[in-house]
Amino acid sequence: MAPRTTDLDTIAPDDIDVISTKPPSHSISPKPISPLPPRPIVKPKKIKKSKTASPRTSSEDLKYRQKVYELVGKAKHPLASFLPRPKFFTFQQRDDNEEIILVLRRHWFTNLHWILLSLIMVIAPLFFTYFSIPFPLPTGYKIIAFLFWYLFTFVYAFENFLSWYFNVFILTEERVFDIDFYNLLVKEVTEAKISMIQDVTYNVIGFLPTILNYGNLNIQTASEVPMIHIDRIPNPEVVAKILQQMRLEEEQEALEGRVS
Amino acid sequence: MPDINSIFTLLFRIFFLLGSVFYVVFAVVVVRQVAMMSKNVYDKFNSILIIFSYLHLAFSIFLVLLTFILTI
Repeated sequence: MAPRTTDLDTIAPDDIDVISTKPPSHSISPKPISPLPPRPIVKPKKIKKSKTASPRTSSEDLKYRQKVYELVGKAKHPLASFLPRPKFFTFQQRDDNEEIILVLRRHWFTNLHWILLSLIMVIAPLFFTYFSIPFPLPTGYKIIAFLFWYLFTFVYAFENFLSWYFNVFILTEERVFDIDFYNLLVKEVTEAKISMIQDVTYNVIGFLPTILNYGNLNIQTASEVPMIHIDRIPNPEVVAKILQQMRLEEEQEALEGRVS
Repeated sequence: MPDINSIFTLLFRIFFLLGSVFYVVFAVVVVRQVAMMSKNVYDKFNSILIIFSYLHLAFSIFLVLLTFILTI
C-alpha cells in the first residue's frame, strides 16, 4: 500500500489521520516543520472514565471528583436523608460500575406530621371508652374494630414511610435520577445526563427550613424533561455545589473528547 | 317490628365482613407495591419492608377469618 502524504506543508494542522506518531521515514526531517506539535491520535471509541487517559487528565478528573467527595462527606447511617456514596444502595437503571455519588430523600422533619398522627392513632382507643356508641355492640365486634384500627394505623405509618424511603433523588457520576412513587400504582422516573444540565437553582423558604437547612432544588436540563424539581431535601446549597462540580468534570471530559 | 339494635348489629356485620375482604385486597396491593419499589430501588432495609408487607397481608387474612368466626 502506498504511503500517504507526509508533506506537512500541505496538510491542516489538525488533520490527525496523516500526522504519524511513529518516527518519520527517511524523506522527512526528524523535527516537525509545523508550528503546532503533533497531536496524539484520538480513538473514536467511547471511553467511560478512561483509565488510559494522560496523567494530566487523570489528575484533572481527580481534582473535580475529590472536591465532590469533600462536599458530600461520609454517610452517617443508612436511613439518613442525605446519603453520600452509599455502600448497599442501588437502583434498576444503574449501569455496571456506575458510581453513586449521592442519594437524597426528603428531610427527616417532613415526616414529623405522620409520625405524630400515627402516635395519636395508637393512643386514641384509650379515649374511646369516654365516647361510647349509643347502643350495645357484641364483644366480638369490638375486638374486630379494635384490630382493624391498629391495622389501619400500621398501614398508614407504613405507607408514609415507604413514600419517604423509596422517593429518592440519585446523583451518579454520569446522570441524575428522580424516582417518585406518587401512590400505590403510579411511578415516575426522571433521568437527565449531567452534561445536559443547564442551570441549578435552590430555595429555602420559611422559618423551619432555614433553621433545619432544607429546601427545594430545581435542575434545568436540555434533555426531554426540561425541569427536575426535588422538594424538601437537606442541604440544598451543598447539593447545588456538588452538581456544579460534576458539571465542571463533565465539561472537562467533553473538552478532552472523552464522551460518556 | 325489628329491634333497632339488631339492625345496627346486622349493618356492622356486613360492614366488617366487606371491609375485611377489601382490606385483604388492599394488603395484596401493598405487597405488590413494596415488591415493585424494591425492584426499582434497593437499599439495606428492603428485605425488612418486604417482610412487614407480608406480615400485614397475613394479619389481614387472619382478620377476615376472625370476622367470620365472631360475627356469624
